[in-house]
Amino acid sequence: MPAYMNRRLALCIALAATAIARGASAQVSAGQGEVTIGYQGLPYKSTGESNTGVQVSEGVLLHVGAGVEAGYDSNVFYSESGSEVASPLLRIGLFGDMSNATRTGAVGQLLFDVRAGVVYRRYQSDNVNVQNFSNAWMPTAGLGLSTGGGQFGFGFADTFARLEDPPYNPTPVPITRYNNQASVEGRWAPGGGRITATLRYTNVVDIFQDFYEYASTDTNIVMLDGSWKWLPKTAIFLNAQQGYIFYLNDAQAMANGKSSSYPLQLTTGLRGLLTEKTSAILALGYTNGFYANGPTTGGFLGSSYAELAFTLRPTMLSRIVAGYRHDFTNAVIASFSYNDTGYASYVQQIAGRLALDLSGRYVHRRYQGDFVDSSQGPTPAMPNQPQRVDDFIQGGVSLDYFVRNWIYAGLAYSVLSNSSNIASVEYLKQQMFVRLGITY
Amino acid sequence: MVNAKVLLTTMFVASTVFAQGPAPAPIAPPSAGGAAPGAADVSVKQRPTLTSEEMINQSRDYAKSMNDTLKRIQTLQDQAKREKDIIRLNCVTDKVVQVRVNISIAEQSMAALQEAVTRNDEGERTHEFTRLTIVNQKVLVLGAEAENCIGEDLSFVGATKVDIEIDPNIPTYDPTQPPAPGVDIERPGEASRML
Repeated sequence: MPAYMNRRLALCIALAATAIARGASAQVSAGQGEVTIGYQGLPYKSTGESNTGVQVSEGVLLHVGAGVEAGYDSNVFYSESGSEVASPLLRIGLFGDMSNATRTGAVGQLLFDVRAGVVYRRYQSDNVNVQNFSNAWMPTAGLGLSTGGGQFGFGFADTFARLEDPPYNPTPVPITRYNNQASVEGRWAPGGGRITATLRYTNVVDIFQDFYEYASTDTNIVMLDGSWKWLPKTAIFLNAQQGYIFYLNDAQAMANGKSSSYPLQLTTGLRGLLTEKTSAILALGYTNGFYANGPTTGGFLGSSYAELAFTLRPTMLSRIVAGYRHDFTNAVIASFSYNDTGYASYVQQIAGRLALDLSGRYVHRRYQGDFVDSSQGPTPAMPNQPQRVDDFIQGGVSLDYFVRNWIYAGLAYSVLSNSSNIASVEYLKQQMFVRLGITY
Repeated sequence: MVNAKVLLTTMFVASTVFAQGPAPAPIAPPSAGGAAPGAADVSVKQRPTLTSEEMINQSRDYAKSMNDTLKRIQTLQDQAKREKDIIRLNCVTDKVVQVRVNISIAEQSMAALQEAVTRNDEGERTHEFTRLTIVNQKVLVLGAEAENCIGEDLSFVGATKVDIEIDPNIPTYDPTQPPAPGVDIERPGEASRML
């Protein structure tokens, strides 16, 4: 089963909670499970638990769960200091997951996993502006298929999420987004599996409504990855990715300085174990946005991609992740941004009952190109106006105690902070919850 | 007086002679017709009437027979190697070694036999021929034993079971796989005071 489907859905849940998940995910190898930085969604199941699930039929296992979070949001509209509007917050989540498995593991040659869920969020406030966004329904769904595993392998995964969050300013319309990510891949590992080739196609449809509609995109990426294992779990690799990103609303996109692009990324490096307890991803390479119109990436740093990530498992019940990444991404408010991201995560289980998750990241983001808001970057009229530069910090901690293997109670806290050379876009947002849930 | 002495001497000799008991029967020559009932025949069949030339011809037949046996056992040895039947291979190899030793002894005896024929030494000739006959019989027995060497098919105790212990610290997933696909989602930055 593609592990990234679980990660993707976990991200969607996180996004439903805080509307911030990009980069909240450490870029980890597909098999390393889920590493989500910042707010942690309601737990899917107790870690290491294998005695739950309803055996619907022979070889089909169903997991279900429901959880409630009640808490407080210090800054509903991500406003600058002094303008914050706070509100109590309630969130309810339901999910179901079905896979061809038994409690002891997957069965069959073709593995499938279907998951669906919904998050209901309610701001319970007397403030009129907040009441405009009191209720939000955010469904998520995912499907994963995989087969093979020897010389040939095949995988397909699709995740969908609808996301809704209050806007930056108390306007009547929320930020609503529909995101669907699908990928299909084939793997070839001839001989003893020392050499592995992966060909993957990924499609992402990202649709905004209302104000951000101009930023709706269709992203297509073809990836070819070749690796050679010089040790059983350590490989050097070559990775090439060619993308094609176009905007779904041409006229609106052009009016906001948006342009299609053909991003290319060529990287090489090392993936895998450095020691029995430490794995790493070391990648260096060339990247270019190849925007069809307007400014594009350039310069040494702008054309460089670098990633350095370490995962350490000091004990069987703990994991530490730390990493750094330098890249560029398309930006909604500008053509693109150069990003330098550092992140860290610490996960600790105690006696299979208590789960602690502590994580954070810092992003230094330099926006480039054509800006939607002309006050945030240079314009023909004001060529010397500085470009917007953000320093974004995100942190989260959660502590869940499983009273039984099917019921839990916990606490969670998240913080989002944005500092910028443009004062009006700075904010500090904190959320804290108590939560209770069942999962079986 | 003289008569008395003769009588006493005669009586003494006579008593001594009769005190010895009956005389033993003469040793019979080896029976050509078979052993007496109840006794095993451990003698080697010989043809004492063979001429020198016949002995040499016979010894050559023995040599050929022993070499044929050696070749046959070597074939069995190769077969066991091909089948990777280590148990049978050990058994057959042991027979090969013994046969080679006996053939070496036989070659020495043949040389000694020819010398004895040249010297017209009948005793030596018969001795070497007897030795050759015994060695030949021993090689034939080894050949039969080699044919009966038992391999794994009869001593097979089941498939080989290999227990592997993997350090639990080593992750079960494959960390060499490429990163997960997809584009991470983020809340768009604030574009303007109105958005």
